[in-house]
Amino acid sequence: MALVTGAAQGVGHATALRLASDGFRVVVNDISGDGRLDDLAERIGGIAVRADISEPAAALEIVETAADRLGPVEVLVANAAAMAMSPFLEQAPDEWWRQIDVNLSGHFRLIQAVIPAMRALGRGRIVIVASGWGVIGHPNATAYAASKAGLIALTKGLGRELGPQGIVSNAIAPSYIDTEQLTVDADDLSISLDEMKEQYRELVPTHQLATAEQIAATVAFLAGPGSSAVIGQVLQPSGGVTRTRA
Amino acid sequence: MHEAPTADRPVAVVTGAASGIGAACVDRMRRSGWHTAGIDLNDSDCELALTADVSDRSAVAEAVGEVVDEFGRIDLLVSAAGYYEEGIEVAAITVARWNRMLSVILGGTVNCCAAVVPVMLRTGQGAIVAISSELALAGSATDLHYVAAKGAVLGFAKSLAMELADTDIRVNVVAPGPTDTPLLASDSLWRQPDYLATLPLRRLVVPSEIADAVHFLAVDGSMYCGEVLSPNAGAVI
Repeated sequence: MALVTGAAQGVGHATALRLASDGFRVVVNDISGDGRLDDLAERIGGIAVRADISEPAAALEIVETAADRLGPVEVLVANAAAMAMSPFLEQAPDEWWRQIDVNLSGHFRLIQAVIPAMRALGRGRIVIVASGWGVIGHPNATAYAASKAGLIALTKGLGRELGPQGIVSNAIAPSYIDTEQLTVDADDLSISLDEMKEQYRELVPTHQLATAEQIAATVAFLAGPGSSAVIGQVLQPSGGVTRTRA
Repeated sequence: MHEAPTADRPVAVVTGAASGIGAACVDRMRRSGWHTAGIDLNDSDCELALTADVSDRSAVAEAVGEVVDEFGRIDLLVSAAGYYEEGIEVAAITVARWNRMLSVILGGTVNCCAAVVPVMLRTGQGAIVAISSELALAGSATDLHYVAAKGAVLGFAKSLAMELADTDIRVNVVAPGPTDTPLLASDSLWRQPDYLATLPLRRLVVPSEIADAVHFLAVDGSMYCGEVLSPNAGAVI
């Protein structure tokens, strides 16, 4: 069974669909109050657990609900994220804490909640959706980048600590993905969606934005049998964005 | 029985196809329905087994020409040909030893890419996976010439990835950890229980796990450009 956070849209949504088609029973979580999460759960025959993972009590609640309905979590996809863009000096403390609380601390608690059952099974996969910005940084996204860099360090530590127990952790650091988030980014800059896409494409050596399905394919690889020797790694399906486009 | 080549099945060319990681890659791609062509000093178990020394530019060009004659296209190049030597301190790396290692591992990768890239450019797409080593990511003692060559493969592949970024040809690196192949002698440092106990997975990698990583980049790697995927059992994190 796989648990995917942040599954109402974008990469989480595509990941839930992909894992379901790969044969997983899937529990989907999101903070979202609209109908997309329930629609998704119905479509894949899974269950939806609505919760804000930044709430300290949420982790156990999600994992216990999932276990009661579908059994122990064998794969955790830590994907939910909060993001706010603003110049570093203009960033309010609550913006910083919101991103740290959801992206980093929320998943810290969720990972703690899934490990006992994984230990009992003697196996488990933790796939952390970090961000290319957590590797290379990005202007006006320092808190987001710091939270994602924290997740990358968490991935590596968990890989070393839990690998001997058969629990394998890896991270994905995608960059520019063609999802609903681009509309938010465009609104922040008061430009059109097409202009936003072109601005981002210009930053990528391959001049391509990833699709959510392409990122979900990497999640599926890290959740599946083909990655059994991959541990503590950061996979970057990012079009080569580590270097700026020549 | 030899199956008739069909144009709709993708074609994988694997160097070092006769054994170890190369042979595992051939097996993995064949099980996914790909045509397979192998280039090796020895005969390999491929649909099209070609014998050539990858350090010989013209021999590689000729072999790749035979692949194109047979299948008409190339969708994947896996550059896995190589050999390993350990227990050699820097002062013992003779010029001959150095040149041979560089010419096989780095030169072989360059020669194969030089022959295959023009073929891929004709169809406008393809995947190249250069096999490097986890040793090149973090360094290693007493096998410096091997590690230097594998490190050069990293730089070469990342740069070729950038050179081809505007096309749909993706170049990436798989950097295996210590893998249970004939290249690791029975008394190799990497087989010692004391060493294996330091790995988070507590074991050697098996060749099929490297082949799975190659397969992933071949079929789902279109957003990977100059990246390093390292199935290494936790040797380098």
